Amino acid sequence: MRVNPSLTARLRIGFLVLFALLMVVSLLGVGRLFQIRVNYENDITRYFQLEVETEHLRSAFILEQAAARPATAHQKPSQAELNQAAASFSDAAGRARDLTDGDTTLTAKLGKLTASEASWRKAVAEPLVQERVPPPGVEQRQTSAVTNSGEALAAASRSARDSSRDHARTETRNTTILVAAGLAGALLAALILFSGLINSMRAPLGRLVEGARRLAGGDLRTRVEVGGPVEIAALGRAFNEMANSLERDARERDRVEQMKNDFVLTVSHELRTPVTVVKGFAEMLTAQREGLNSRQFEAAEVIAESAGQLQKMINDLLDLARSDAGKLRIEPEPTPVRPLAQRIGRQMRPHFDGKDQSFTVSVEKDLPEVDADAGRIAQVLANLLTNANKYAPDGAEVRLAASRVGEEIEFAVSDDGPGLEEEQLEHVFERFWRADSTETQSVGGTGLGLAIAKSLVELHGGAISASSAPGRGATFRFVLPISKDGRPTETTPAPRTKAGAAG
Amino acid sequence: MTRLLVADDSETVLLMLQRRLEMEGYEVVTATDGVEALARLSEVGSDQPDLILLDAMMPNKSGTEVLEEIRGAGSEIPVVMISAHLDAQEPDRMRSLGATDIIPKPFEWEDLIGKIEELTADGT
Repeated sequence: MRVNPSLTARLRIGFLVLFALLMVVSLLGVGRLFQIRVNYENDITRYFQLEVETEHLRSAFILEQAAARPATAHQKPSQAELNQAAASFSDAAGRARDLTDGDTTLTAKLGKLTASEASWRKAVAEPLVQERVPPPGVEQRQTSAVTNSGEALAAASRSARDSSRDHARTETRNTTILVAAGLAGALLAALILFSGLINSMRAPLGRLVEGARRLAGGDLRTRVEVGGPVEIAALGRAFNEMANSLERDARERDRVEQMKNDFVLTVSHELRTPVTVVKGFAEMLTAQREGLNSRQFEAAEVIAESAGQLQKMINDLLDLARSDAGKLRIEPEPTPVRPLAQRIGRQMRPHFDGKDQSFTVSVEKDLPEVDADAGRIAQVLANLLTNANKYAPDGAEVRLAASRVGEEIEFAVSDDGPGLEEEQLEHVFERFWRADSTETQSVGGTGLGLAIAKSLVELHGGAISASSAPGRGATFRFVLPISKDGRPTETTPAPRTKAGAAG
Repeated sequence: MTRLLVADDSETVLLMLQRRLEMEGYEVVTATDGVEALARLSEVGSDQPDLILLDAMMPNKSGTEVLEEIRGAGSEIPVVMISAHLDAQEPDRMRSLGATDIIPKPFEWEDLIGKIEELTADGT
């Protein structure tokens, strides 16, 4: 994806362009309106003056008429008065000519007025002053021509004023519309600019949000496409750098973890063969006691027992290393519960008898089969029972019970020993953790039993838990799924004898 | 007397197995790798062992390869494999090749003896 110019730069340019557009539109509009107003006022003044001058022309003509033909019979026409009135007519005509300058209609009307007055003076006023009475039709015709021309000029002047007002009104309206349209256009352009900016951010931001979610969800290969405005693109690059670093760290961690697992797997595996041999021969010696004196027999027994403990520890470590590497393999198959519980009970009984502990196995009637690797579940039960045997005092009571809980079978191992503090319960399934370090010597063991039990139960799709209160004993429970392929109720197969238990 | 052919590449383990099985009253023939195990089988000729115990991992020829050859030759002698299960698919492969039983390593002595007793009793 393309990297666009910086957001701030684009915003800045956008604002500047918008501001300039608004300024230009506003100034042009206001200037134009002002101009229209000034023109209108000039026109109105001019036409008004023209009307005044038209009135002057009329009154001057009336004075001329009065001079040429006095109102009373004993008065004589006066050349001097006529000349004075004609001069004032001519003055007014001169001023009016200045005012009509540029307007052909008004100039023509004014021209007609002055021409008709001049013609009247020649044909009517001059003869009257020289006491020659003009023909009656001539005087009347000439006089009304002047009067009509004067009225025509006045009417034209009024009409010019009106049309100037209309013109100003139209201009004002058009200019206002233009300015409004310009402002609206500028705002629209701003809106398009901003929505464009927002759109250019939306897609890359969405990708970042999506990428962050995937990364948080654990997909460390997540990278985002870098794009959008410079700032968002920088964020995208920073995100990718962070993801790179996270992935590198995770890979390094995995590598170290893998090395550790491989080491434990290899070491345990290599240790196992010699320990098996030592244990095997020592057991052989104790089994055939003939030829050994009592001290030799005792030594052989200790060797066998210690080798057994060592073997158990190595096997536990190997199981955990396999579990960590995801290589711990179970083969679950429909397994009847009662024989499994009874077999482990038989195996463990000697240990309880050795501490005068009462040990009971109770299995609910008609339990369906569970999905279990019998050997592995026996291992889990042996670990739990070994703990109960070790931590409960002589003469204590230990119970192994199996019952149905919903769609699962629950196994419970309980004792009435010293129990565990709440704080201790949180740690019981951790590796190498033991109830009390001062007791390590007396109870022995590796501290791996419960960790393995947890791994194995979880591998079966079950769950394990511990409950206890100090002085009130402890109960360890785990559940296994009921087998879907299994028979609904168990049948007891021929019991197979097994001796010896995990050391 | 019940005859057993036992093959394991560790000489100490092999000796331990031999002595303990002899103690239980079996006649034991040993081999330290797959090639030797097959040689022993052809040597005894008509006097075939009643059961073969094979370590899965051995040099020259692995237990799994020996199993394949024995079954390929049409023999139905019970073969018990001892496997460390380092590969999760291994047991399935051995079963498909015709292993009579598989004992996971590490094994409890009682499990091994029980299995051998069971299988040799069936055979005779």
